[in-house]
Amino acid sequence: MLDIPILKIEDFLVVTIQSELSDDEISALQEDILFRIKDVGAAGLIIDITALDIVDSFMGRTLSNIAATVELLGAKAVVVGIRPAVAVTLVELGIRVKWNVNTALNFDRGMKLLKRLIEAERRGGAS
Amino acid sequence: MSESEENEKEQKKVKIVSSADIIAARGKGRELAKKMGFSVVDQTKITTAISELTRNIVTYAGRGEVTIKKARSKTGGKNGIVVVCIDEGPGIEDVGLVLKGGFSTSGSLGLGLSGAKQLMDEFEIKSKPGEGTVVTIKKWLRR
Amino acid sequence: MSQNLERELSTLFEDHADRLKGQWVTEMRESGLLEQMSDVETEKRYTALYNTVVSTFRTGEFEDVGRYAKEITEEAVLRDMSVGRIIGGILKLRDIYARFIFSKYRDEKDKLYKFLDSYEPVANNILTIVTMAFVEERERVIQEQQRAMMGLSTPVLQIREEILVLPLIGTVDSERAEQILEKLLNGIVELEASVVIIDLTGVPVIDSLVANYMIKTVHAAKMLGADTIITGISPVNAQTLAGLGIDISMLITKNNLRAGLWHADQILGFKVIREKM
Repeated sequence: MLDIPILKIEDFLVVTIQSELSDDEISALQEDILFRIKDVGAAGLIIDITALDIVDSFMGRTLSNIAATVELLGAKAVVVGIRPAVAVTLVELGIRVKWNVNTALNFDRGMKLLKRLIEAERRGGAS
Repeated sequence: MSESEENEKEQKKVKIVSSADIIAARGKGRELAKKMGFSVVDQTKITTAISELTRNIVTYAGRGEVTIKKARSKTGGKNGIVVVCIDEGPGIEDVGLVLKGGFSTSGSLGLGLSGAKQLMDEFEIKSKPGEGTVVTIKKWLRR
Repeated sequence: MSQNLERELSTLFEDHADRLKGQWVTEMRESGLLEQMSDVETEKRYTALYNTVVSTFRTGEFEDVGRYAKEITEEAVLRDMSVGRIIGGILKLRDIYARFIFSKYRDEKDKLYKFLDSYEPVANNILTIVTMAFVEERERVIQEQQRAMMGLSTPVLQIREEILVLPLIGTVDSERAEQILEKLLNGIVELEASVVIIDLTGVPVIDSLVANYMIKTVHAAKMLGADTIITGISPVNAQTLAGLGIDISMLITKNNLRAGLWHADQILGFKVIREKM
């Protein structure tokens, strides 16, 4: 079973997906992330998929699910590192129809966005 | 050796039984697409289409086989890649409905099929209840 | 039956080639159709055509005509030779053949009609093939030029920190559209852009293809963390777009590039101050 490290940085969790994951690994990861968020009380999550050269509709839906569940747990999620070729393909796939995920260019921008989102929420804005 | 014989020789066949095979099929697809000189975007589209179709096989048919090889257009002139996905699953009653349906009515089966169709230049499906399914997709190299 | 007649015709044309060709060239010269060509060129070019036509009648196949048409049109369009001249020349030959058939079989009405029935469709088909070859070649050249124009005129320009501008010029066809999108996305990654301004001033027709392409671009750029502003939609095109019924409510549009840049500055918190007067 692949052990994907979930790092804690400041108040956030960071997951870097290094390689192609099998469906079982994806499910396990999803469980891990959600458990850790609750466990640690994280305010935000960054999923870095820079290393992925393919994101099919299943992976896309999974990322969307993770983001939605994280919201339900009272936190924010940002996906970073979507490659141009992957972005074009995802858009062609029409994943945008159910794709309500915050996205940023890279880890740095992702952190900035997370903080902005959390701050906006704290000020009482609707999510 | 004739061209079609050469293409036959270079083809990759992957048996699809579990979700790990999805990754294997994608890898072969990416490999051949890259070798043939497809752009990075097209490589990604081809690989993703393969992922969609093989995932359908695993989820809905249980087992099947994917063949990936070079293609040459009938009118000559165009080179491309062709992927044939065969399974002996339950087959699809109404293909048109499934393709149109979207996620809610046909689950990810329709989504996967229409996704693959959207990403490739040619898409052909033959399916009958009880007789399994054959999906053939092609993408041509741009000039 | 008709095939035999056609073969008879071709033999007829062959046997009287010198006379008919001579007549043809003379009439063309009289009509001013041969002005830009030397005698040698004329001889070469029109002999080729004559022989092609004869062989078409003989074999009943139009491959030779197709090939001839392709060659002549590629050259003619390239040299900007008048289509009228070449078509005019073929029309003249058609008439000369027809007149010849008339004069030969004037007194044999049955045979005359049979020959004409056989002759007409072949002659008209030859004319159609050559004309269509011209049309297709022109269209091909236009498409190529447009593509070249699009290639030259889609630089991805960094106008400020984090702001990219993509001025589109010409027609956007689906193949080119994707190449431009890829270039834009790579630009976003390389230059770490947060806002992209796409200016459509140079795109004459904004149809559903362009609209859908804009929507695709906005979504793809968003996945890379960038917002997209569309500028330069003319009032006419705006009306067309509204009438298309495509949901473009999610697009941020501004009147012109200047307004777009101002909006981008707002998003990023840039303020432009003029220091010296």
